[in-house]
Amino acid sequence: MDRPSGTSYQRFPRVRIRELKDDYAKFELRDTDASMANALRRVMIAEVPTVAIDLVEIEVNSSVLNDEFIAHRLGLIPLTSAAAMQMRFSRDCDACDGDGSCEYCSVEFHLSVHATDSDQTLEVTSNDLRSMDPKVCPVDQARAYQHALGGTDPFGANASNENRGILIVKLRRGQELRLRAIARKGIGKDHAKWSPAATVTFMYEPDIRINEELMETLTVEERISLIESSPTKVFELDSANQVNLFSLVVVKNAEAYTYDDEVIKHAEAIGKPGLVEITAKEDSFVFTVETTGAITAYELIMNAITVLRQKLDAVRLQDDDGDLGELGAHLGGP
Amino acid sequence: MDPQQPEPVSYLCGDCGAENTLKPGDVIQCRECGYRILYKKRTRRIVQYEAR
Repeated sequence: MDRPSGTSYQRFPRVRIRELKDDYAKFELRDTDASMANALRRVMIAEVPTVAIDLVEIEVNSSVLNDEFIAHRLGLIPLTSAAAMQMRFSRDCDACDGDGSCEYCSVEFHLSVHATDSDQTLEVTSNDLRSMDPKVCPVDQARAYQHALGGTDPFGANASNENRGILIVKLRRGQELRLRAIARKGIGKDHAKWSPAATVTFMYEPDIRINEELMETLTVEERISLIESSPTKVFELDSANQVNLFSLVVVKNAEAYTYDDEVIKHAEAIGKPGLVEITAKEDSFVFTVETTGAITAYELIMNAITVLRQKLDAVRLQDDDGDLGELGAHLGGP
Repeated sequence: MDPQQPEPVSYLCGDCGAENTLKPGDVIQCRECGYRILYKKRTRRIVQYEAR
């Protein structure tokens, strides 16, 4: 409130991508704070749009599952949503009443399976869904299609061998399921079925400091037991690096540290407090992102940044002494 | 819809599976086997659900 006018808190975060697969990404985010990292994480989970089945019109259902049960299961099937960012939400689509199939806001699916004279139970899967728009289809259909084209499967070899789709219901002889479904654009905040993220996590990068002077007072056995006191493999003995014929304890993998404090407690227990000091770097984050397959991990990250920017623009466009002034007064400001 | 002349509804017998047409006031009993549990048929209309 009484900051000097003109003071800028702008920072210039950096991103370094470590690993990028179709449905998985690992990257570093630096020079920013936890609020930004968490905002990005939350936007990825709940506000990046995808397409999912939202309305189901059942014509015939003589299966053992009731209509609501099947409708719910259909909603949870991930659909390829690369086009979702360009689509409209059906609630603000002008071209239609939001209920029919409209090229801007919805995609129609048909499913018709009849278990005729077969002795075995018939499995109705996501592969039985017929999409009216080739851009939007169940993810494993898209994957099978890519595989059939002779392309390498980006989701790993074992996924392609057994592409049986997602089971919806099993039918006995004579049972039938016939329905029409409408898929719409939505966000995870409205319903988790629209969330493109399987997991999004970030951790602070740990800053591990070993007190070398104190370490020199340890015997080899003590050093090994210190290394083994960490439940994850954070430290190791560096046999190539010896001081007084003793191998040095070095950090093998700082990110394996889970902030469990075990090594610090161990150091205290052997009477050497301060032997290892671990702090979290408050401006460096390591993100792990996994998607459902609806969009690629790359799309998820880029779309999340786009959505976050749109939200910030909305705040910026509000006149300053309007809502924000009111908010300031409410918080006990001037 | 005339409330004075309701349409007869057909039911399936819980025992023999025979189709029974019942009007209001009729005894609920299968005409074929006398079983007293009858099941209503599913609507022929399309039913709509939100997938949530």
